[in-house]
Amino acid sequence: MASSEPKVAQEVEWIGRAQRGDRDAFGLLVERHQRRVFSVVYHLVRRRDEVEDLAQEIFFKAFRSIPSYNFQASFATWLSRIAVNHCYDYLRQQRSSRLSYYWEMSEESVRNLEAQAERPPAGGLTDEEQIALRDFVSKLLDRAPTHERVILALKELEGYSVEEVADILKLKPNTVKVRLHRARKRMLEDIKLWRQGR
Amino acid sequence: MRCKDVRDRIDELWTGEVPAETRAHLEKCSACQEYARDVGLVRAGFHALAEEPVPEASLGFAARLVRQLGEAAEQGTREEFLVHVGRRFVYVASLLTLGLLLALVLPSSGPVRGPASADLFLAQPETVSVQSDSIVGGGWQENQDLLPVDLNGQNGKGRQ
Repeated sequence: MASSEPKVAQEVEWIGRAQRGDRDAFGLLVERHQRRVFSVVYHLVRRRDEVEDLAQEIFFKAFRSIPSYNFQASFATWLSRIAVNHCYDYLRQQRSSRLSYYWEMSEESVRNLEAQAERPPAGGLTDEEQIALRDFVSKLLDRAPTHERVILALKELEGYSVEEVADILKLKPNTVKVRLHRARKRMLEDIKLWRQGR
Repeated sequence: MRCKDVRDRIDELWTGEVPAETRAHLEKCSACQEYARDVGLVRAGFHALAEEPVPEASLGFAARLVRQLGEAAEQGTREEFLVHVGRRFVYVASLLTLGLLLALVLPSSGPVRGPASADLFLAQPETVSVQSDSIVGGGWQENQDLLPVDLNGQNGKGRQ
């Protein structure tokens, strides 16, 4: 706690300078928060080759908007909000041009997955099983509607609590819970469809 | 408890906090057992995805970003200047066009087109027809004054 106070005071000073147009002070904020922004972008978009470009656009937006930052939310939450909104727009644009099908999975992945379904993943997973599961859930996420994908990624991949997700998305915690419930249910229905189709 | 109720309690299966009632149903329902297994699979998949290493910013990302912000600001100023100059050019061009249109629309008399309109008026066909009528209609004597002096003299001799 004692070590975080000077850090916060320092950040407040950098924010103040950046609000007056000091680009170097903004650079210090970028260095402090870039890891978080990269993580949010990667978990939402899941395209390694796009992450840095998107992060750059997000920081550009943040610099333009920083004069209106009023310290009501933490700077990290404010920045995450910009990142999530930017990724949301990107995903909506991409969705019209890029569809993903879970039946595009390799035969090996499917075999691993079926083995997992027979044997619940209580114990440790082999590397192949991990890859198959990652592949499968990636496909399920790609197929999910954008707003469900965002909420699932923030909760399950970024590890935010319901309250934190609500804060970032400017929603009530109960609304987040309802949407999370629907997203999980829809994902399970999608697996059922996959089983029926095989 | 019905199968539908188990599916509605997906959040409990997801977090692993399964109540005794649900657990009792799961023990005797194979379809719900499969559903619960799928929930476990998806959870494990999310866990595996979350553990995947996140790409890191390339070296000097923040410094590059600051430099690009500076370049963007300079470019913005230049564009602002060009827009300012361009806007003035449009204003001047609009004024000139308006002046030209006014010059074309204005009546034939007046300060803009005064002298030129007098020449045009002489060239009009009504003036010519009046002169020819007077000649053809036998008004020769009346038009004698318009003839040159030497011709006038010849006419006088012929009559005498």
